[in-house]
Amino acid sequence: MIGLLLCLPAALILAAGFVWPVLLLGRISFNRTNDMGAMEQAWTLETYARIVTDDFTWDLALNTITLSAGAAAAAVALALPVTLLIRSAPPRWRGLLALMAVAPLLVSGTARVVGWMAILGDQGMINAVLTGLGITSDPVRLINNLTGVRIGLTESLMPYCCLVLIAGMSRLDSRLEEAAATLGATRSRTFLRVTLPLAAPALAAAFALAFVLGVSAFITPRLMGGGRVFVVATEIFDLALETVDWPAASALAMLLLGTLIVAMVLRGVLSGRGAAR
Amino acid sequence: MRRILLATIATFGLAAPAAAQGGGQITLQAYAGIFRDNYTQTVVAPFTAARGTAVQYHDGGTSAAMLGTLRAQRADPQIDVVIMDVTTAAIACAEGLVEKIDASTLPVIGDVDEQGRQAGGECGPAVTYDHLVMVYDSRAVTPAPTSLSAMWAPEHRGRIALSAPPNIQGLALTAILAHADGGNWRNIGAAMPKLRELAPAVQTFTPNPDGYTLILNDQVRFATGWNARAQLYSDQSQGRIGVTLPTEGTVFQINTINLVANSKNREQALAFIAHALSPEAQVAFTERMFYGPTNTRAQPSAAALARTAMAPESRSRVIPLDWSEMVRLRDGWNQRWRREVIAASNR
Repeated sequence: MIGLLLCLPAALILAAGFVWPVLLLGRISFNRTNDMGAMEQAWTLETYARIVTDDFTWDLALNTITLSAGAAAAAVALALPVTLLIRSAPPRWRGLLALMAVAPLLVSGTARVVGWMAILGDQGMINAVLTGLGITSDPVRLINNLTGVRIGLTESLMPYCCLVLIAGMSRLDSRLEEAAATLGATRSRTFLRVTLPLAAPALAAAFALAFVLGVSAFITPRLMGGGRVFVVATEIFDLALETVDWPAASALAMLLLGTLIVAMVLRGVLSGRGAAR
Repeated sequence: MRRILLATIATFGLAAPAAAQGGGQITLQAYAGIFRDNYTQTVVAPFTAARGTAVQYHDGGTSAAMLGTLRAQRADPQIDVVIMDVTTAAIACAEGLVEKIDASTLPVIGDVDEQGRQAGGECGPAVTYDHLVMVYDSRAVTPAPTSLSAMWAPEHRGRIALSAPPNIQGLALTAILAHADGGNWRNIGAAMPKLRELAPAVQTFTPNPDGYTLILNDQVRFATGWNARAQLYSDQSQGRIGVTLPTEGTVFQINTINLVANSKNREQALAFIAHALSPEAQVAFTERMFYGPTNTRAQPSAAALARTAMAPESRSRVIPLDWSEMVRLRDGWNQRWRREVIAASNR
């Protein structure tokens, strides 16, 4: 009973800040937009039907999934060595190193993207070095395209992966690695046959978190894509704030939310079965 | 005695409403940034000084965001007057979020030109005219370009920023190119191959924060923009930003001023709208920020007028685009841009 009462403030905040707006969003998604662009109150599935039967929606979904899966995988791959370094560091340095790994989260996402724009732009630092050294005559296109979004998204997801991996791998029993080494395993073999399998749940959790954040990412695709990268989040923005088609924006947002919930539930079920084995 | 009594009643009868109309306060929702700064100084402050009515200026962001605020406040409006672009205003009008007002409600509307009176779906009249221009880096682009075709020159490859539809600037550019080719802005058949040819030279289709800033930061040499802001930034940059009304023509971007339905301060709100449409306020804002006046009695200086699309030599190049019709064409144009133009940009 006391536990329930203690949960009440958080539940109320969640209800007011998430559940209620989502319900409103869901309601709007059943309205219709007329030829003039005005929203008409209705209870219709017209908008959902229009979205689902539009080929562009499926292109968007595919773009979003491949982009976020790729960025999540790259972020996990880059975060893993960082985590291993932190884990192998003397205990007194671990806190500082962990703080450094997640320090990008202390800076606003928009500011970080603007920083990337200065680094990767046609007149940015990297191109200045490349052209200055005579390696290329024309700037290498590193931004305002899919490459730029991949770089930016991977960087923005990395700190989250580090957080999950640091928490997950800190619980690994280092005596198992020591035992493998005692039995003659090389360091790479110990890593591949002992450390990595033990870290698999943490890696999967980091990937899942990064993937979910990547799917709903807006700032990076918007600012670093140059209008060439279409994902669900940028489409929702355009529908809501450019064409003012709120029912379509809401319906797309509800479909995205539903897909993510299904994906998370499936992941939970699959990881539960894996653990049971 | 009867005559004195009637005169007394008439005097107090007229004076009482006049006194009631003064004072109080209204909330105006309009664009933020330099629009707010200049509109406050040239239109809002004189109104408050003359009437004693305080005006709370609420930064509305884009017109779409303002529409969102109006929708959210439908049951209990906190905004009294809203300035928003004509397309969004028409939606607000159709949804009953703003009131229909005409010359019988506010006589000054009779002085607004015909296009301005019909703007906004018969709700609020036009309060400013702006138009699409080509902006360029005057240090890098010489001689000063006069035509949009300058952007197709190979030496500017990768140094162009365009806003793609559904952004209104992208729609306007498409309409201008369509009109230049066949005289009909609705038929974009010939415009699309031209845009597809230009696409690989475009650095970004979503200039952030805007094309003017990208030019000042040496990122691009050409962009599209709105005249009023472009003129102001041109002055602020000592001419670094060049502004051209292209020979192919331009289209108006119309801002309308609207009375919010069920406004709690209706009388004061109407008084503000009347002031905003008055020749004095229109001239002051044109002189400051180069938006074209909508009141036919407004007579800005020749120098200021020449920097708007209302100058006779420019007016002839304004393509009569119907934004309400554009709403119906927009989705199709948007899809064609994505599939034919952006897909060909190969960056």
